[in-house]
Amino acid sequence: MTSEVKPAAGAQLAAKPQRSLASRLVIVAAVWSTIALALAGVFLVGLYERASERAFDAQLEVHIKALISGMLETSADEGRATQTVTAPTYRGDPRFSLPLSGWYWTVRKADSPQILYSSESLLGDPLNAPPIGGEEVAAGYSIGPTGDEIRVLQQRIFLGDEPYVIAVGAATAGFWADISEFGRLVTLTLCIVGAGLILAIFLQVRIGLKPLARLRASLSAVRQGEAERIDEALPREIAPLAVELNALIVSNREIVERARTHVGNLAHGLKTPLSVISNEARSSDGPLAEKVTEQAEVMSTQIQHHLERARMAAQRRVIGVSCETEPLLSRLIRAMGKIYQDKGVLVDFEQKVPIRFRGEGQDLEEMSGNLIDNACKWATSRVEVNVSPLNDPATNRDMFVITVEDDGPGLTPEQRAEAIKRGRRLDETVPGTGLGLSIVADLAALYGGTFELDGSVSGGLKAKLTLPALTRE
Amino acid sequence: MRILVVEDDTDLNRQLVTALEEAGYVVDSATDGEDGHFLGDTEPYDAVVLDLGLPTLDGLSVLENWRRDGRTMPVLILTARDRWSDKVAGIDAGADDYVAKPFHMEEVLARVRALVRRAAGHASNELTCGPVRLDLRAGRVTVDGSPVKLTSHEYRLLSYLLHHQGKVISRTELTEHLYDQDFDRDSNTVEVFVGRLRKKIGSDMIETIRGLGYRLGAAGDE
Repeated sequence: MTSEVKPAAGAQLAAKPQRSLASRLVIVAAVWSTIALALAGVFLVGLYERASERAFDAQLEVHIKALISGMLETSADEGRATQTVTAPTYRGDPRFSLPLSGWYWTVRKADSPQILYSSESLLGDPLNAPPIGGEEVAAGYSIGPTGDEIRVLQQRIFLGDEPYVIAVGAATAGFWADISEFGRLVTLTLCIVGAGLILAIFLQVRIGLKPLARLRASLSAVRQGEAERIDEALPREIAPLAVELNALIVSNREIVERARTHVGNLAHGLKTPLSVISNEARSSDGPLAEKVTEQAEVMSTQIQHHLERARMAAQRRVIGVSCETEPLLSRLIRAMGKIYQDKGVLVDFEQKVPIRFRGEGQDLEEMSGNLIDNACKWATSRVEVNVSPLNDPATNRDMFVITVEDDGPGLTPEQRAEAIKRGRRLDETVPGTGLGLSIVADLAALYGGTFELDGSVSGGLKAKLTLPALTRE
Repeated sequence: MRILVVEDDTDLNRQLVTALEEAGYVVDSATDGEDGHFLGDTEPYDAVVLDLGLPTLDGLSVLENWRRDGRTMPVLILTARDRWSDKVAGIDAGADDYVAKPFHMEEVLARVRALVRRAAGHASNELTCGPVRLDLRAGRVTVDGSPVKLTSHEYRLLSYLLHHQGKVISRTELTEHLYDQDFDRDSNTVEVFVGRLRKKIGSDMIETIRGLGYRLGAAGDE
């Protein structure tokens, strides 16, 4: 059985990751550019289509004009010119003579669908002209004798005294091929322009957001404990942010420092008189002295506990503190060697890779100090301290584990559970407040870590402390 | 054995001095950092009990100054700031052990005893030389197993000689380590106490080396 302290539930509310600013900007700009370019393409092709239609109609109109002029025969009669309508003599375009060439004309009286004259290319078939209605000139699409689409231009004209409708039609295949070719070219051009634009936007965003990346790197350096403050040489828009953050970091450190000094002073202020009272009482006899000794003991434990709580409260949420575990533990173990020099306990320390603790060095020192001290107190001859990295699969957080094993008498599972409780001293003959292990458990929980006691291979106690590590970038 | 106590709280200072004196040590005391530093710098002490929170010059600086000047006497620090970071800082500054306040006087006495013993190169709390046996914890002396009653001066003298047995110890050194700073160094009381001690533990145990001093050694050691 292991006794374990779990971090408070809900301590880590993982924020849903948001898309990066750069990708937001690039995506929005890219979508907008694509839409704008597509609209421009459609508009351009539409314009081109209309212009092409007008040019096509103008071409058809030329043929109508030629037909009209070919239908009028002018004769000079008694000094007066008279016009008579005849079959058009127009042969201007050879395609009108070529059977089903795609180029056709017809002439009919306005009030009758009866075709009077038609081009040879029609081979006597009618030309499906859309109804002209009351207009002078009308253009429209229709189906030609070969089943292909044709564009027909019709003109109503008075020849002599009678209204005629002259229709000229031509297959649109070439016309549409032209337009689609134009559309293809426009699409290609706009795609190239679009790609260039997106690249430009990407570069612009990258360059534009560079100060933010710098701010991030600077903040990360502060978090790593590599820098004291954030670089304030930033563009006008975000410089105040860096200044404010720096002020926050400084104020945060000051608050912690003040609280720590205060706690230290309080400790000194209370503990010295308490030592005097308790020693005075212990050197006297009688029930009063006994009572005072007993109560001084209680006060001492209480003070110790509450000072520790105050210190813990003070160190919460300190921005950007971290420390290397190796030098800190080496120093601690060296000191321990001096303290336990008489006992001849050998402390082995092993850490293969560099690890940074995400938190106050003093707290790491406090936790590992209590564990190693405890192990040295109970060990027969050997204490093993091992530090190794660990990735917590449950939360995917980088952690590290400190194990402290001794070859002492060890504890039963029940005793282990008991040992973590505040103020419990399993052996009253060894000096101590009985707070050591409970402080370790409290501090570990505060950092979102865990603390477990287990049996070691050599029969002694094995303490296992899991704490958050700084991710190396 | 001569001990220096540097503690600014006068009550605690008095308690420490009394307890140490009762345990058979000669004790000098100081109540601020500068005085403490001066005493430790100029007088030969066998151990120092040093509070870290001191007026005028803090305990850590006092300790660092001593170590920088080559003073090697064992130092026990008393601290109310009992986080490991404080303890390690103290040990790194040159302390040999620490006791956190509030403490039991027995604890301080045990630590001081261990420091003095360790400094003289002894592993056990029992110092022996031939038939003479001194139990440091109980403050009891036996010769051939039978208890011997010693006055406090005699006890200090024997304890010092036992801690440094085999070495020649001058009269000045003995005076310096057996009496506090106000003692008249020219008097010949040391010789008187050596004479009395010889009578109690056997005359051949303490050898007089003419012109140099005394040496404790079991008869026939050489």
